[in-house]
Amino acid sequence: MTRVVTIGIVVGALVAGLLVVPVLRPAELQVRADELYVKTAARKRSNDARMGPRRAPPTPAAKPAQPAEKPVEKVEADVSTRSVEVTTGFTGHEILVFGAIDNSQEPEGETGYYDMVVVVEGTPFPLVVRRKSDVAGVWINTSSMTFASVPSYYAIASNRPIEEIAGPKVLERHAIGFAHIKMTPAPGYQFNYTEYELAAFKAAVIRLKQKEKLYVVEAKNGVTFTGRSLFRATIPLPANVPVGPLVARTYLFRNGEVLSAHIARVNLERAGVERVLHNFAFRWPFVYGVFAVVLAVASGLLASAYFRRQSA
Amino acid sequence: MNIYLPIAEMSVNIAVFLGMGCAVGFLSGLFGVGGGFLLTPLLIFMGVPSAVAVGTGSMNIIATSVSGAIAQYRRKNVDIKMGIVLVAGGVVGSAIGVSMVKILRQIGQFDLFVALSYVTFLGAVGGLMLIESISAIRRARSGTAPTARKTGQHSWVHGLPFKMRFHRSKLYISAVPPALIGAFVGIMAALMGVGGGFVMVPAMIYLLRVPTSVVIGTSLFQIVFVMAATTLLQAIQNKTVDVVLALLLIIGGVIGAQGGVMAGARLKGEQLRFLLAALVLLVCLRIGWDLVTKPAEIYSIGPLIGSSTP
Repeated sequence: MTRVVTIGIVVGALVAGLLVVPVLRPAELQVRADELYVKTAARKRSNDARMGPRRAPPTPAAKPAQPAEKPVEKVEADVSTRSVEVTTGFTGHEILVFGAIDNSQEPEGETGYYDMVVVVEGTPFPLVVRRKSDVAGVWINTSSMTFASVPSYYAIASNRPIEEIAGPKVLERHAIGFAHIKMTPAPGYQFNYTEYELAAFKAAVIRLKQKEKLYVVEAKNGVTFTGRSLFRATIPLPANVPVGPLVARTYLFRNGEVLSAHIARVNLERAGVERVLHNFAFRWPFVYGVFAVVLAVASGLLASAYFRRQSA
Repeated sequence: MNIYLPIAEMSVNIAVFLGMGCAVGFLSGLFGVGGGFLLTPLLIFMGVPSAVAVGTGSMNIIATSVSGAIAQYRRKNVDIKMGIVLVAGGVVGSAIGVSMVKILRQIGQFDLFVALSYVTFLGAVGGLMLIESISAIRRARSGTAPTARKTGQHSWVHGLPFKMRFHRSKLYISAVPPALIGAFVGIMAALMGVGGGFVMVPAMIYLLRVPTSVVIGTSLFQIVFVMAATTLLQAIQNKTVDVVLALLLIIGGVIGAQGGVMAGARLKGEQLRFLLAALVLLVCLRIGWDLVTKPAEIYSIGPLIGSSTP
């Protein structure tokens, strides 16, 4: 009877695991559809609210006398790793985007004269968003929206919140900010839904991608300045980042306008055993399947033989 | 320590997945089932895409069952002829199931279908087993001998054609019911990532009246071959078999299974069935709860299946 109890405990522990695991998931990130829908209005309000305590920009009179031909600021940037390898040991990677502002007109270092935004965007992929509803007491996927292309990954780093840096029109033009991520509906799909429903689907993509840590925002000290012209930003690539080339865009802002921009590329590729296995599975699925079966049988038999010798 | 899975495309903790494999392996050895009905939901809860959980689960079941099947074969507990009929049906069912996985994923109803299948089968089988085992335990306590199998008892099963003699099962019955049971289990294998022992074992005992002594051995025999076919088909059609994930689960699983077989040999049949029934019902309730409560997030995102993605 004690054995029954022992087994009962093992069974109980397993079931407890089954019940507890979902609870351990990270807390939900709050982005609602209507937030995105009324983004323009909301942004305007928050902009006005934040403008108050901000230090007034230096007046033109305070500037040192300029030579007749004013040199133009130009941003030059690069990334610490041009190529990130996804190997069996891949647990994510942090890329460093760094660079300098040529012809910086900032009178002194780190006075907040310029604003800097770094956007790292992953390869766009087609994506399906599904919405559940209650059908006779069971929650079932009842509607879906297909986007022909959605960035697999999207990270923003800036020296202060982007809403404070520039207005929505400028941000939209450069696809800066979650609200301005380019999501192209698949042909035919945009006519199936109202504008509000479309906004809700887009908001869901952003919310779920944030939950997976694939859409990230580093608004506070995401970009740090050193002296009058050097800057750096670290961008975290999580372990689940979809493989494919990444584009790092760097924008230099002054008074809400883009002065200069720079584009750098990062390769994100499978490597080593990881690459071999993935190619194997997708290019020779039959051989891979046979390999999987043989591997399973062999490991089972090996274990069986091993334990038989142990008990003999 | 973490490892990146090539097909699931996620980084997982090695120790957690080894431990999961070990715990499920223990139970699979104990009850003579593949353990897939525990493993697949566990993998899905851990964030493994459900199609990958199902595809990889079948590979894991091969490994945990093959050692068990051999152990049973040595003890002459396998009816090979019955097993072959079950496998033939199973492979056909598996092919149907794998195609269904593809269609269901395209229309976005795969997760729902998996959950509904789990609730239905686990609920029905667990409920029946619970009732049966409780009455068996009561009988054992009150001292009355269990009713022996009545030989020569006839039912509709005996009226079907293609009669075959199954020596080890001491049966002379039509090959149609075992083939149908096999096919049904094959479909379940592909859709749910389970070995199907929890359906096959009661079906063999109650429908075919196979002696209990050969039931576990024969079902393990069928599971090994049908899961091999399922693994191959999933790899070809759905590309959802992750060998790295499977290897982690297998290593844990074979160790656990040894302990389970030893523990199982020392337990009474009705006690085993009671524990298994309780476990099955708990898993069923857990999955059913998620279906009927309003999810915290009603939206979900996934890749476009069946498109030519770069």
